[in-house]
Amino acid sequence: MKTRVVGIIGLVAVVAAAVFGLFVVPADLNQGDAQRIMYPHVASAWLGYLSFGVTALAGLLYLWKRDLRFDAVALAGAEVGVMFTAFAIWGGMMWGKPVWGTFWQWEDPRLTTTALLLALYVGYLLLRRLTDDPSRRATRAAIVGLVAAIDIPIVHFSVIWWRGLHQTATIGDPSKLLHPSAPPLFIIALMSMLTAFTFVWGYLMIRRYQLARIDWQIEEHGRLGRISAARRAAAANAGRAVAPALDARTEEVAP
Amino acid sequence: MTDIGFIVAAYGVILGGMAVYAITLRRRLASLRDVSLRIRGEAAAADERPDEAP
Repeated sequence: MKTRVVGIIGLVAVVAAAVFGLFVVPADLNQGDAQRIMYPHVASAWLGYLSFGVTALAGLLYLWKRDLRFDAVALAGAEVGVMFTAFAIWGGMMWGKPVWGTFWQWEDPRLTTTALLLALYVGYLLLRRLTDDPSRRATRAAIVGLVAAIDIPIVHFSVIWWRGLHQTATIGDPSKLLHPSAPPLFIIALMSMLTAFTFVWGYLMIRRYQLARIDWQIEEHGRLGRISAARRAAAANAGRAVAPALDARTEEVAP
Repeated sequence: MTDIGFIVAAYGVILGGMAVYAITLRRRLASLRDVSLRIRGEAAAADERPDEAP
């Protein structure tokens, strides 16, 4: 019930933030209307970071506590993070074409490291399908999730460390917190979109976690069923092997 | 394509994608909850019939 409330708040907030960003905030002087794509693009990118951060933290906690609930949280973070990172890339491409004149440039460090981040966590999700053993799967996934998280700061600071097509942070840089390089109305629109997306993110994370837990319970039931069937089969085979031996012994004893 | 086209494509895919993912999660969750309840029901029924066990 509470999850549904989070979802409804997220839905209303996203609609309100989209209307605000599309129709209330004026167009940018240089970039025109295309700048409006920044609001969902940046919000998606930040939530991608957050999701993968949650995956890494949950993986670390799994390795420490060996509790499969942390693995479910890590899975939720990875799947939701892949979705938000894909949205950030898509939004960036739709922004890049009218502003930069190109959808994509492999030489740009921010674009390339973000594509790498997406590939790493798609790999993480694929890796999880390689084994049915929950603890082995969780251990492998936790290690990969932690290693892949190294790319998060590289993506974020790539615009500072290397020169490229992508602009530097508008407000992410601590020195720009008090004096952002964008007008206040743009910042309000961005923060509104980020808040709205965060509610949706919370809803999706909870639902994906619940799904992972039920999936695991069904998987566990199937595994126990297979084990008991194998035991029954083994017992039946043993019975079949013992029966002729007993018959032979009976014949020997009988006159 | 005009700026408006890019904006519609960006917002459409991002907001639409989130909606589709949320609906898919809800449907999968409802379906798996049914399976889980059925399994629990079968397990409870098996527990009530110990005589029939091999």
